[in-house]
Amino acid sequence: MSENVEHLETGPAWASALGVVAIVLGVLLVAAHGNEWITQYTIPAVGETVSELPPADCPQDELEEEGLTVAQCEQMVSNLQSIRVSRPDWFRSSQLVVSAVGTGLAFASILVGAALVNYRRWAAGAAVVVFGALVAVDVVTFITAVQTGPILRAMYLWDALLWFCLHLMMMLGAIVGAQHEQTA
Amino acid sequence: MANKAYRPTAVITHWLIAVSIFFLFISSWWMLALPLPGPEFQFRAFPFQLHKNLGITLVFLLFLLLYVRLRHRPVPEQSPAMKPWMHKLAAIDHVILYLVIFACCISGYISSSFSGWGTTLWWSVDLYHWGWEDEDLNMLFSDIHLWTCWALLGLIAVHISGAIYHAFGNDGIVRRMLRL
Repeated sequence: MSENVEHLETGPAWASALGVVAIVLGVLLVAAHGNEWITQYTIPAVGETVSELPPADCPQDELEEEGLTVAQCEQMVSNLQSIRVSRPDWFRSSQLVVSAVGTGLAFASILVGAALVNYRRWAAGAAVVVFGALVAVDVVTFITAVQTGPILRAMYLWDALLWFCLHLMMMLGAIVGAQHEQTA
Repeated sequence: MANKAYRPTAVITHWLIAVSIFFLFISSWWMLALPLPGPEFQFRAFPFQLHKNLGITLVFLLFLLLYVRLRHRPVPEQSPAMKPWMHKLAAIDHVILYLVIFACCISGYISSSFSGWGTTLWWSVDLYHWGWEDEDLNMLFSDIHLWTCWALLGLIAVHISGAIYHAFGNDGIVRRMLRL
């Protein structure tokens, strides 16, 4: 806590830039993985309740309150059912684990990002590890979605690919930054 | 040596608020696409309770952050990178940001109070249900909730833009909110 009163000296520019990107993306990723966890937790598997969902319940007052048409209201149930029937048995538990790990790593990305901006000697090495682990989570998510079917692939693959590219760039940036610091 | 950094409590609270707000945005977009509630459809129950609980907790976190920040005020950043208009924009953005976060959370809570649905705080304490079922009031505060949240997203964009600008400039200003 003594740093509360110390002069805020600057570290290398690459660390500050990479650190703030890691923090911003880390905050977004906590939300994204957290939401995925809730999605899998909330939507029960086929067989846990009933295999076929009942027809949509679309009272007029609820439709007006949410600005929905009857067709949209009915489609919400169809969307849910399409997720349920598209998920292989293993998918739900797999996603619960991956999203829980992803949430933890996203928090780690925020902490490592703060260490990069504040520049700690260990920050570059830790960033390589954390960003590398996030790349691995993205790869697992991608491979998992590939093993399902066209409906879940359409939902998951693009997001997984985008996060993979972002985390790969961050990991490579951290590797180059760490090498630069070693030779400086 | 001047006290330039924020207190650890302020730093931790700031980042908890940041994560909570983005989670609330993303999860709300998702949960509103779940089937409307009915005897056969209870899919919204858990995400809505979580949404309300986080929103109520956010208000407490906001007051904690304001208390710590007002009680322990770091010296304003005197870096040449911080131009006078930036000081003004940052001050205005912060004040409006706090007000809009509060308005967003409170309007959501009031809307819920007129929806006829109760709130159990973190699945342990049944909050006193002072409201009554009133469709018009529910809609009014639901609209206020919606528009204040969109405004909040815009203000956050300004806030983050400033942070990224200073971090890319490596002028040391964002470190104030990143040190424990």
